[in-house]
Amino acid sequence: MTNTSEQATPLQLRNRDDIVLRLEHLVVNFKVGKQTVQAVSDVSLDVALGETLGLVGESGCGKSTVGRAIMQLPPPSAGRVLFKGQDLSNMSGEALRQTRTGLQMIFQDPISSLNPRRKVRDIVAEGLQIWRRPNQDARVREVMEAVGLDPDTVADRRPHQFSGGQCQRICIARSLALDPDVLICDEPVSALDVSVQAQILNLLEDMKQRYQLTMVFVAHNLAVVKNVSDRVAVMYLGKLCEIGNAEAIYARPAHPYTRALLASIPDMDPDARGQQGKIPLLQGELPSPANPPSGCRFRTRCPNAQARCAEVEPVMQAVADSMTPDHFVACHYPL
Amino acid sequence: MRQSEHKESNASLLQVSNLSIRLNSAAGLVHAVEDVSFTLKAGQTLGIVGESGSGKSVMARSLMNLLPRRAVAQRKGSVLLSGREISTLSERELQRLRGPDIAMIFQDPMTALNPVLTICVQVSEPLQQHLGMSKQAARARAIELLDAVGIPDAVNRIDQYPHQLSGGMRQRVVIAIALTCNPSLLIADEPTTALDVTVQRQILDLLTGLQKERHMGMLLITHDLGVVASRADFIAVMYAGRLVEVAPANTIFKSMQHPYTEALFNSIPRINDASHTRLQAIPGRPPQLHNPAPGCAFAPRCPYAQQRCHRETPPVVQAEQAEHLHACFYPVSAPVALGGVR
Repeated sequence: MTNTSEQATPLQLRNRDDIVLRLEHLVVNFKVGKQTVQAVSDVSLDVALGETLGLVGESGCGKSTVGRAIMQLPPPSAGRVLFKGQDLSNMSGEALRQTRTGLQMIFQDPISSLNPRRKVRDIVAEGLQIWRRPNQDARVREVMEAVGLDPDTVADRRPHQFSGGQCQRICIARSLALDPDVLICDEPVSALDVSVQAQILNLLEDMKQRYQLTMVFVAHNLAVVKNVSDRVAVMYLGKLCEIGNAEAIYARPAHPYTRALLASIPDMDPDARGQQGKIPLLQGELPSPANPPSGCRFRTRCPNAQARCAEVEPVMQAVADSMTPDHFVACHYPL
Repeated sequence: MRQSEHKESNASLLQVSNLSIRLNSAAGLVHAVEDVSFTLKAGQTLGIVGESGSGKSVMARSLMNLLPRRAVAQRKGSVLLSGREISTLSERELQRLRGPDIAMIFQDPMTALNPVLTICVQVSEPLQQHLGMSKQAARARAIELLDAVGIPDAVNRIDQYPHQLSGGMRQRVVIAIALTCNPSLLIADEPTTALDVTVQRQILDLLTGLQKERHMGMLLITHDLGVVASRADFIAVMYAGRLVEVAPANTIFKSMQHPYTEALFNSIPRINDASHTRLQAIPGRPPQLHNPAPGCAFAPRCPYAQQRCHRETPPVVQAEQAEHLHACFYPVSAPVALGGVR
């Protein structure tokens, strides 16, 4: 552990008493051969009760790694993960195991995250059995009905008998069985067809209401993220670029990277032909995280980069004229 | 070299009529493509939109006869390329078409390239095979092509292996290979699905730019309506192996006729909608394609379905607007207000 207490509290962490999840100076390193790659580099953010935080960025930006580090899979290399005030990254095995029932996760590929040899009933009940919870059958029925599966017809089937969308429903039922406070969704709809994607997104919204969930929603599709999120955090190459209210960020992005991401979304209006390209397109590709650029990591692709961006790493600052409070950006020359 | 006489003409470049393909599978015959007809003119882009399993990739591959021979149980219909029937050609004759006449770009640039050959070998191969270029000439031309598809430092990159390039760069190499023989028809099967949004935009811009510049016909196959909305001249919507609606891109969004097109359009989350806007999901899921039930394949999920829809298969008919075709007994008649398009 690093001496987090000596580091200043990041500006973007809100001073509220309903914060369920708080990440402070999170760092995750991976060893690749002899090199060390910093997949997540000093990320601090928080999620309040009942909020959905969307985590977006290109592949390789560390968004999934943040989601997994919250679950301590694997534990962060430095920094703290506070769940309802308790530091998960400091906990020992048994205490962590018990506390972690309050955090559940669903994954991108619903089919490979279910054991093909087990029946749906046993898959959903596994957490209840491990913790010897009472009324297991009733609870299994309840969550299966909640996610739109008929327990009488599906409980004795195995995952291969279901489509991707239905497998994702089973995964959601399993994650809800232990009545968690926090649900971490790692690209939950990107493997699904458009018509099924909408069903699952609606279902997640319903489950959030019904079970008072706090959610972290990791995805690369910005329209999907906006649909489910209250707040959005944008990551680039392991760093947090911008965080704030979803509407505010999408209407008036403050970081050039956020603006570029938004401009990349294909336009649904055929009349918009030719109007695209008003905003400078992102050139080039993600630099290697093993050898990130000095200063601001986005500067090599940023249309507004100045000399200072290469020298000084920008820190989080409040966006001056944002539509909502608690909107922060790490840029020397915010838009 | 027989190239490009037809390229300037406005005649149809590709004419597919009543194409049906049945595939063998363990569960029985799969009706992968059913009675598909469409026309593509030179220099135009036809976007084919469908969900997974709708038959769009099978259709595209069959145009180049790339389906494994043993898998195809039945194939009917005609495919005319610049007026020439190509569905009955021998493998040898087809081999001569692939490259100079039709080229294809696949979804996954990681597996489309041979990992043990350098970029130079892979881009030069069609130049040497089809155009009879010498090794040196092919190498020089390959460098030009890599330049044209936006690979920086092509002179040095050309001797690298695929694993040394990023996904976006690899897709650019695949595009360069497709362009080597100046094809008159380019089939792009989900060319950006494996790529990030920012890279997707770059690749789509590159493809549409090259298509205009070289006056190619392009079939752009995708599951994402947004990808084709502002790039295709015509959009064809595919469901359960059939084309259910075909129309010019700027009319299909304003006056969609088929309930599936409407449902697909409405189920997509919009960037301009407020957070937590309830999505209009399509109930149920796409049908299995073996032993298809009689009637319209979308009927079980369709909010407007009548008894007749469950009995008879609706034929493709002309809508009010020119060049607008649909296959529905009860089309969504009220034109969709443009307010819905964002």
